Amino acid sequence: MTNTNNHDFDVIIIGAGHNGLCAGATLARKGKKILVLERSKVLGGMARTEELIPGVRISRIAHLIYNLNEQVAKELEIGAGQGSFQLKKIPTVSLALNKKHVIIENGVPSFSNGEKHPDSESYALLYQKLSRYGKLLSKLATISPPMANGASFNLNSLKELFKLAKLGINLKFLGTKDLREFLRIIFSNSYDVILDEIQDGPLAGALAADAVRGSWSGPRSPGSLFSLIYRLSNGQDAAIPVNGMGSLAETLINLVEHKNMEVRTGIEIHRVLIVNDAVAGVILRDGTTITARSVLSCIGVKKSMLLAGVNHFDIETVKRVNNIRSRGSTAKVNLVLKEPFKIDGLTDKQAAGRLLVAPSVEAVEAAFNSLKYGNVSPNPIIEVVIPSFTDKTLCSNGNHVLSAIMQFVPYDLRAGWGKEERDKLSQLLIDTMEKYIPGLKSLVIHTDVLSPHDIEQITGAPGGHWHHQEISFDQLLTTRPAVGISKYSFGIKGYYLCGSSAHPGGDVMGAAGRNSALQLIADGVFNDKQ
Amino acid sequence: MINNNKKPFSVPIGLIPTPFFERLTKLSPAKSWTNWSGYLSPNYLDTVELEYFAIRNQASIFDISPMHKYRIKGPDTLNVINRLITRDIRKIRNGRVTYAMWCDEDGMIVDDGTLFRVNDQEVLLCCQESQYSWLIDASLENDVVILDESRIIAALSLQGPTSFSILKDAGFLNVESLKPYDFTEIEPGIFLSRTGFTGDLGYEIWIKNEEALILWDRLWAAGKKWGIRAIGFEALNIARIEAGFVAVGVDFQSTHKSMRLNRGRTPIEMGYRRLVDFNKGHFNGRRELLKREKMGPKYSLVKIDIGGFKPASDSMIYHKKKREVGYVTSGVWSPTTKRNIGFAELKSPFGITKFDDLWTEIYVKTEGKWKRHMVPVSIITNPFFKSSRAIATPPGIF
Repeated sequence: MTNTNNHDFDVIIIGAGHNGLCAGATLARKGKKILVLERSKVLGGMARTEELIPGVRISRIAHLIYNLNEQVAKELEIGAGQGSFQLKKIPTVSLALNKKHVIIENGVPSFSNGEKHPDSESYALLYQKLSRYGKLLSKLATISPPMANGASFNLNSLKELFKLAKLGINLKFLGTKDLREFLRIIFSNSYDVILDEIQDGPLAGALAADAVRGSWSGPRSPGSLFSLIYRLSNGQDAAIPVNGMGSLAETLINLVEHKNMEVRTGIEIHRVLIVNDAVAGVILRDGTTITARSVLSCIGVKKSMLLAGVNHFDIETVKRVNNIRSRGSTAKVNLVLKEPFKIDGLTDKQAAGRLLVAPSVEAVEAAFNSLKYGNVSPNPIIEVVIPSFTDKTLCSNGNHVLSAIMQFVPYDLRAGWGKEERDKLSQLLIDTMEKYIPGLKSLVIHTDVLSPHDIEQITGAPGGHWHHQEISFDQLLTTRPAVGISKYSFGIKGYYLCGSSAHPGGDVMGAAGRNSALQLIADGVFNDKQ
Repeated sequence: MINNNKKPFSVPIGLIPTPFFERLTKLSPAKSWTNWSGYLSPNYLDTVELEYFAIRNQASIFDISPMHKYRIKGPDTLNVINRLITRDIRKIRNGRVTYAMWCDEDGMIVDDGTLFRVNDQEVLLCCQESQYSWLIDASLENDVVILDESRIIAALSLQGPTSFSILKDAGFLNVESLKPYDFTEIEPGIFLSRTGFTGDLGYEIWIKNEEALILWDRLWAAGKKWGIRAIGFEALNIARIEAGFVAVGVDFQSTHKSMRLNRGRTPIEMGYRRLVDFNKGHFNGRRELLKREKMGPKYSLVKIDIGGFKPASDSMIYHKKKREVGYVTSGVWSPTTKRNIGFAELKSPFGITKFDDLWTEIYVKTEGKWKRHMVPVSIITNPFFKSSRAIATPPGIF
């Protein structure tokens, strides 16, 4: 254990979301003494497992893992076959009213009745292409974004430059044709690229829905192809974590708990303590002061700024932070069912998959139109999983949970988010799913509706946004979360951002937390005698 | 949009008159007007020489209505001001005026101006460039309102040895107790500050547009026997260089107005280290300024004395007559000190550790023939012009 220089801890981490815990684990492994403070009683942030009603446990917000960064998993020993963190891969099923559902497994589509999909070859080619680009770009995920201004040359900046140069070389190795294709489509929209290759229908709709999930954009929005590539950067099918999403947090804590990382829940922070333009710790709501040499925050940028006091930040920074686009567009609805069900045309294994209601690219775009005007589309785009089909330990008494991510549900709903509006949303889910699962309505014994507002309340994610802020070209790399604060360091000495707002951003990926932790060390925060 | 009334739009076309224009134009045989923030403003009304000597020997009246004027009000006023400017507003008492600079996040000067601390919850800011949007940005998440009063408040600068006597004769009471950088509501609706841009005894008077002409006439009537003269920008410019005041857009560029890299300057490079208070807590650009303080300034703005009598504005400055090390930002023949003076921006280490063997290039055309002269430049640390009458309280009767 290091000498904490008369501080209670080396690092305090605000928020026990998966990024906060990845940051904590990374630092704890390097011998730093860490304290993680979580406002909620539940760990994991959006990646949380909660008991909804007695005997029914559920991944209450995010419900799948498909983008956990390989490098992070390797470093923290949470990868495949390591530790207690287990993932079960599931197929993707794009539902069709005619019961000819499209099954996608390992990048190859087919119909649920075993027929070959007419677009299976072109889909496979497109999928491979996008995954290849995604893999290339994922190299960027594990380095700090380069500084746009003339940062001084030192060993660290040279290392970063070297990694960037490697990316350049890898891009070059794509070959002229592929590189040209990469540059042609990278700034494009998903609508055009998808429909260039495959005809519109549930298969194309599935891709389009994946491109926009969690974001305030439609398939036709510029840059929506990039978010698809980003999602495919690990090139994996979605997976259900055993014991729910919260098991990631549990695993991270169990790996290091006995050593250097302490986690306290139900703790609200009043403000971040600043002395001589450097963080000195935090003051809790109850008045307790805990000192540390550094504070990492994985809650949203604006909230982190307000915790430290806005006047500690430069005028430009405050303006940029206020201008970050982070309106949530995604709700979560969980339905507790009294017994299992069958879906016409699907095997049990398929029914346990990731079920998409995205009949076509056009339908996804049309649903987005309602969002623009602050309404919920009557034909919503939905991602449904029944985790209890895969992981039998989650529910007892024969109950099951239908876990649904409803896309294009506005944060700033015109009618406001009252009980009535919440009930309408769960009713819309039930009515929509009833078309595919006849009799669903009679099975529902409990509903749990989380509007973007609720998600913000529970997790602190700004706007309830799935990725804390839009993943778009103006909010990426050196401009994520905003210009001038892209290197995790957040103005005040020792104050760092480590959440999804930071590079490389959203999904349960872990890279933002881990990168921030490494940046803290690279910046020499622990080297100074204080 | 279709104009159904067939009346012209009320949006004025071209330069607009200030509230004092009616009076100024009658006093101006020269009719030499310039654009100051969209207003018609005189370069000179009659002749520059007469106007300059009015500043130094009698009293001058200059219309400063085109200045930008903002009122910052609310519980967080002092916090907002302190996060804006580089010095500490908490050290300025209520009823006092202070000169300040403010920077962007890179520590580069945005603008300079005067701050009038009315009370703990109200400060007025008077400056050359429009700062409304910058003030709005500076006040984000703070409880204040920013009011732009630029177009509703008229202002006059009354400068010169007899300025106090004029105010007295015009019937203003208790002016004698006003110390330099004091301000007060001298009569309901009339604000008086003992400030100015000339380095001489002088005052600035602030009033609502509607009452502007009444004030003018009152001063004018009282000023007749004290030699009052309306002046233009050129005479003032000589006086301000003599007084050692820098001007935005001339001696430094507002970082918000320059597109090119490395055009910004820090207050320290401008010779205003004393205006930067690193101990007051965070202010805009503080972190960058601290870094730069360690690295040392890249430039320095210095006062210079130039050989000969030809003003050297914009001339290059050379070391050992060879190496280019800077240029003259403002240059003027100073009638009072009888010297050829100015400001120069020099690249480090000149003006910081190296001071000798500096020369400037002057071109002189005599009857169609150009000649190039290399004249010596010496760096001056004392003020060019300093007068005890400027700071005497009560002011003298001249």
